[in-house]
Amino acid sequence: MNNRILIVDDSPIARKMLKSCLPKDQGFEFNEAGDGKEGFEKYQELEPDVTFMDLTMPVMTGYESIEKIIEYDKDAIIIVVTADVQMKAIKTVMDSGAFMVLRKPLKKEELTMALSKALDTLKQTT
Amino acid sequence: MNAQNILTEEDVSILQEIMNISFGQSAADLADVISTSVVLSVPYIDIIEVPELPEYIKNHVKDYKNINIVEQKFWGKFRGDALLIFSSGAGKELMSLLQNENRELSDSDPFDVLERETLMEVGNILIGACVGKFSELLRDVVTYTPPKVVVEKDYREAITNGHYDPDKSAIILKTDFRFDEGDVSGFLFLVTNNDSVLWLKDALQTFIEQYE
Repeated sequence: MNNRILIVDDSPIARKMLKSCLPKDQGFEFNEAGDGKEGFEKYQELEPDVTFMDLTMPVMTGYESIEKIIEYDKDAIIIVVTADVQMKAIKTVMDSGAFMVLRKPLKKEELTMALSKALDTLKQTT
Repeated sequence: MNAQNILTEEDVSILQEIMNISFGQSAADLADVISTSVVLSVPYIDIIEVPELPEYIKNHVKDYKNINIVEQKFWGKFRGDALLIFSSGAGKELMSLLQNENRELSDSDPFDVLERETLMEVGNILIGACVGKFSELLRDVVTYTPPKVVVEKDYREAITNGHYDPDKSAIILKTDFRFDEGDVSGFLFLVTNNDSVLWLKDALQTFIEQYE
């Protein structure tokens, strides 16, 4: 079965940039959400294998969305992709249960490695 | 031809993302200097005619009544003015945050000089990191004038008509922020004009091509 990926970012360009950095030959199924609230709703509906989450978003921030997702599914794999690279932001999301934090602008190699690590973790837990 | 006709919806969206990344960098740089974090908001882009600019800025700062402004001009292929607008009292709050970090603020200087220097230092970090990252992402190199500071001035007088060339358009790149500690908030405007917009349009497309 193809791995399901959820990308949560208010910027359509940021979502496009992220998708373009992911491997094209692994048959991922992509889904997108434009804010933290929609991200949480889509998480419940789709139960993706890996979620990429921005932090600074309207309606509901990534911080709140991560908390809600982890409360719903403590094993959720959430990779934060953010321009907010302050230590406090990183500590807050890691304490909330994020799997990893990547800084914008994304680098293809970093993203591929992060996804590979996430999928390895997924295999070990299922 | 003005900037509204030059930049497409996609260009503006790319610009917004680049501004988001750039201000994130400047917030991180400032957080390294003072022990509080900067709470960021979603940046937005507006394109207006320069004669509308004083009114536009006044409409966005009217909640503050008195404001502090740090202004720096920057030159590269992309050029313009960076205006960092702080709420009233920001100078004193920032002085207190910097003193908590045991930084050297001379006791012999009068209070208003220290306040001005503090605003200048913080403004310099925020503007320098933001404009620097912005330029780096678009493969440009910029130089800056030294920052100019306006302290505790009524918002109606702080930005005057005639400050910018009325024949130009202005791209407003606005990012609101507030500090986690202390009562400090504000926003950063980057004001540029038609001379830079054509270059910017190409640079934005070059930037996004690496993600095609």
